[in-house]
Amino acid sequence: MTGLSVAPPAQMVEMRGIVKRFGDFTALHGVDLVVAEHEIHALLGENGAGKSTLMNILYGLYRPDSGTIRLKGQDAAIHSPRDAIARGIGMIHQHFMLIPPLTVAENVVLGDERSGPVLSQRALATRVRELEERFHIGVDPDAKVEDLPLGLQQRVEILKVLYRGSELLIFDEPTAVLTPQEVDELFAIVRTLRDEGKVVIFITHKLREVFAVTDRITVLRAGRNAGELVTTATSPSEIARLMVGRELRQVQARTPVTSSGAVLEIHGLEARSDRGARALQGIDLTVNAGEILGVAGVGGNGQSELAECVLGLREPTAGSITIGGADIAHDDPKRTRERGVAYVPEDRRAEGLVLAFTVADNFILGKQDHPPFSERGVLDDAAIRVNGDRLAKEFDVRPPNARAIVGNLSGGNQQKVVLGRELSEQPKLIVVSQPTRGLDIGSTEYVWERLLEQRARGCAVLLVSSELDEIRALSDRIAVMFEGRIVATLPAADATEERLGLLMAGHAEVAPA
Amino acid sequence: MNQEQAATTGPGTASPAPSVRQLTFQWAAGPAIPVLSVVIALLLGAIFVQLSGKDAIAAYSALVQGAFGTPYDITETLVSAIPLVLTGLAVAVAFRTGLFNIGAQGQLLVGALAAGWAGAQFATWPGIILMPVVILFGIAGGAFYGGIVGFLKAVRGVNEVITTIMLNYTIVFVMHWLLQAGPMTAQNALGTPASTPIGAGARLPVIIPNELVLFSRLHAGIILAAVAVVLFWFLLWRTPLGYQLRAVGLGPRAAAQAGIDPARHMVLVMAIAGGFAGLGGMIEVSGVFGRVYDGFSSSYGFDAIAVALLGKNSPLGIVFAALLFGAFVHGGAYMQSHAGISSNLVAIIQAFVLFVIAAETLVRALTRRRRGARKPVEAIA
Amino acid sequence: MTLEMLLGASVFAATLRLAAPIALAALGGTVTERSGVTYIALEGSMLVGCFFGVVAADRSHNVWIGLAVALLAGVLLAGLHAYASIALRADQIVSGMALNILALGLTTYLDYQMYGTTGTPADLPTLPDVQLGLLKGVPYLGDAIGSQNLMVWTMGGLVVLLQLFLFRTVLGLRLRAVGEHPRAAETVGIDVRRIRYAAVLASGALAALGGAYLSLGVAHSFTDGMTGGRGFIGLAAMIFGRWTPVGALAASLIFGYGNALSTSLQGASIGDVKVPVQLLGTLPYILTILAVAGFVGRSRPPAADGLPYETEGHA
Repeated sequence: MTGLSVAPPAQMVEMRGIVKRFGDFTALHGVDLVVAEHEIHALLGENGAGKSTLMNILYGLYRPDSGTIRLKGQDAAIHSPRDAIARGIGMIHQHFMLIPPLTVAENVVLGDERSGPVLSQRALATRVRELEERFHIGVDPDAKVEDLPLGLQQRVEILKVLYRGSELLIFDEPTAVLTPQEVDELFAIVRTLRDEGKVVIFITHKLREVFAVTDRITVLRAGRNAGELVTTATSPSEIARLMVGRELRQVQARTPVTSSGAVLEIHGLEARSDRGARALQGIDLTVNAGEILGVAGVGGNGQSELAECVLGLREPTAGSITIGGADIAHDDPKRTRERGVAYVPEDRRAEGLVLAFTVADNFILGKQDHPPFSERGVLDDAAIRVNGDRLAKEFDVRPPNARAIVGNLSGGNQQKVVLGRELSEQPKLIVVSQPTRGLDIGSTEYVWERLLEQRARGCAVLLVSSELDEIRALSDRIAVMFEGRIVATLPAADATEERLGLLMAGHAEVAPA
Repeated sequence: MNQEQAATTGPGTASPAPSVRQLTFQWAAGPAIPVLSVVIALLLGAIFVQLSGKDAIAAYSALVQGAFGTPYDITETLVSAIPLVLTGLAVAVAFRTGLFNIGAQGQLLVGALAAGWAGAQFATWPGIILMPVVILFGIAGGAFYGGIVGFLKAVRGVNEVITTIMLNYTIVFVMHWLLQAGPMTAQNALGTPASTPIGAGARLPVIIPNELVLFSRLHAGIILAAVAVVLFWFLLWRTPLGYQLRAVGLGPRAAAQAGIDPARHMVLVMAIAGGFAGLGGMIEVSGVFGRVYDGFSSSYGFDAIAVALLGKNSPLGIVFAALLFGAFVHGGAYMQSHAGISSNLVAIIQAFVLFVIAAETLVRALTRRRRGARKPVEAIA
Repeated sequence: MTLEMLLGASVFAATLRLAAPIALAALGGTVTERSGVTYIALEGSMLVGCFFGVVAADRSHNVWIGLAVALLAGVLLAGLHAYASIALRADQIVSGMALNILALGLTTYLDYQMYGTTGTPADLPTLPDVQLGLLKGVPYLGDAIGSQNLMVWTMGGLVVLLQLFLFRTVLGLRLRAVGEHPRAAETVGIDVRRIRYAAVLASGALAALGGAYLSLGVAHSFTDGMTGGRGFIGLAAMIFGRWTPVGALAASLIFGYGNALSTSLQGASIGDVKVPVQLLGTLPYILTILAVAGFVGRSRPPAADGLPYETEGHA
């Protein structure tokens, strides 16, 4: 059944024709969103689909370039979060806006304390408890936020929003940092909220959440509406297809894999994220020589942490990482690189390059302390220059001036500098993360060609990307990551867009009978 | 004071606070900004002088006259500038790695104490052996004191601004004890607390003899200072270690993933910085005083910050800035005795210079943002 | 070395007297750093308070006018820092250093211009001591606290007031929020800038109070650079006292005690060894280093301390 725009009589939110541009990049191409009263509505899509942008507009953080917003039938101009809050819209951000050393009660009332100049902790706690009882949200008002696990911290965010009388609550990727129990508890709270007359919008990419708790769904894809559905009237497959369906580029013909043994083997890898959540929950994967293993998944499911662990930038809490049999899980980046590991990080500007250095200097980053670039404690400028010119030409850096400051190059050329540095030393394993993010088509194809070249050379490539195009164009095998686990590893030929979409959204596969 | 934002305590807290980075690395346009800062500061100083009822022109001409009027004055300006070059280098080399070294003052004193002790202890040794020994002691003393700061930062994540300020004061009191009641006390004609004089072999000779310039005190320390400047340049731009230090300062995360360990380099750079400052202390003892007087160096450390920032943390810039401040010091004394204007006008001008430099970062930050209106990548989803 | 030298009433009295200016500076530091701005020119605000208090008291023959002018001077200096740090988002350390140098240069310059080599007049009006008649004759207490200066008692009162303010009032809560997570505070509608301005200005006033006490209450004169680093000891006390007013007081008392000892133990010896009183001066600094390195319990500053803040650009 195709999605209908069912417009129930009482509409809480009506956003029509929303267009939003950032510079010459259009994030939203005229998007509609209709949310009814007493409803839990899912806003679904991959990274880059435009979900957060749309909600940031509703919450007054951005202004649309065109389009209208109506709340409860009235035109509404929302110029700031204060406007939004005044109109009864509250947002529970993905990154909590809480003050860690203050108590729960203090965090809830901050800014709107409704008390005389002197604060009474007891009065605050009582008020917060009343709120908690009404919505069945349990958390100790006198506890310090920094002592609470992330699941309880989220409840404080919810209480903040309810305290200010919000009628519409927007949750931005709420289950990203929660344990399974906490997720169920959150759903219970959300249902209570709806029963108490609130309207909830869930921004998510996870099918489980959508089917567990929502009433209607709006799917966005690449800044456009892809479908509006009633939850009970649709299926995971349909949604997955709407989320990822697109004209995929022709998968390039390539030589079949002549794999000659495993290069990288990861067993039971566990690690924590910077925020302390469990980012990797037991990863097993293998990358063979002469193959590209693509790790697909929506950003934030542990991919960054995986790459960092392999490189030695993050200490795993359990598990092993071996290269050619040697365990490198606890090695520092220098040691790991000595084993022939190259790394193309996802943030080329902050991690891949020293922007203030020249192209030639960036080409030797990490290699500056041994021949031919330095001899007996002195840098060999001539060798560095020659190397710089050679690599700039070989890797098509434009203009091919090794003395240019890297910070002034375009994104594509910056990435070529990174590639030149990492790929020129015949590595055994390349870990490459979001290599074409922000690049134009020409640069993207260039990067793909070089990676395929390395593969043909017999290198093992671990490719992490949230771009399905890229994964499907380059990978021999695809592993899908979801919530810190590999939920499936399949040969590229078997990876249809529907299947990948389901896996990326957390929909477990039914084993064949 | 804040521990860096990315992580709270512990090793690997490499990212320098953004404002420090802005201070040191965003000035692309040559000497324009430093010169402008000095000009503005001089103007503000002139306004101040007028407001306080004195004649600005008289003040400034006395200042210039005092600094450069006679050959003797020129040598004195140089004598004042020499320690500033070294402490300026001490601050600059740390800035290049993203660290704020306010401790040049303390590092200088430790170097002075070490050199003064060695010079007296081995006083009978011939100059050809004693001089290098004393130089080594000076450098080592300062390096040790600087290294502590780097170590605490690398291992415990302690903000170097706090530790350097605390250590500056600590050594002052230790010095009081050493020279007043402790093992380095010695008698001297002036009656002020001071150490045993160093041996003749440890004294830096005056290089411009009395025949050329009467009463000249310009000593061979100027050669050491020049060598230090060259070493600074050579280290940072001609050695792999220098490359690594600059990489940690300009791109700490890129450096880390390339295998350059930020923590180790922090310790190294602070030791190197301390070494420069310690050499400065040794030069003062060997070239000027001949012994360690309690409280002999009041402000070289703080002037050093202005010298480094004004000199944009580069060799030539630091030399010019040190000369400027040396001129201020010597010319200021003349201004006070001949024009009746307190030499502290110089300090006021210096403060204005620093203040203008501090505010400069905003201009830089604004021009940087306007140039790169990047599309937000992560923010949209 | 006798017990009297260590714990005598006069030592206690000296401790209070020496601790007061440090504590006032530390209180100032605490307030501003709790709001997220680092102000290392407490020394400078103290010094200008010292000097301009004397000048005003001299010219007006009234110590209260002197006190008021001292506060104003401290506030103005801090105001420069506030403008540079908050509006211009300048580096707060460099700005603080500049202001310290400015304060020293300025006061010394003006001292020379106004009082030349003769120095400040001997008949300056002074801040009165508070004579506790009730305690006259009471052993120990009578000598220890019976005639402390008004400023010492004011300092004590301010400690209590500021502790209550920071932790028991709405404004104090907002101030602490601004220092920990200014973005979060802004999203609930708090004016981060305004609170930070107020905090920095207040700290200038508090430090100046300490300075005025030194010149008008203790020395009854002004000499160049007479604060002698007390502003920095105040910083150390703030850090050691974990950024709370009560902690600042406790730390100041410890540091003041060390200072008092270095006088009372002058010439004393343990057996044959002379007590190295000069080394007592290192006490505040070494303790503070140990504290920040985490060897003496956990010492964590407000999370956003010292970082320039960009207000969220609204659409």
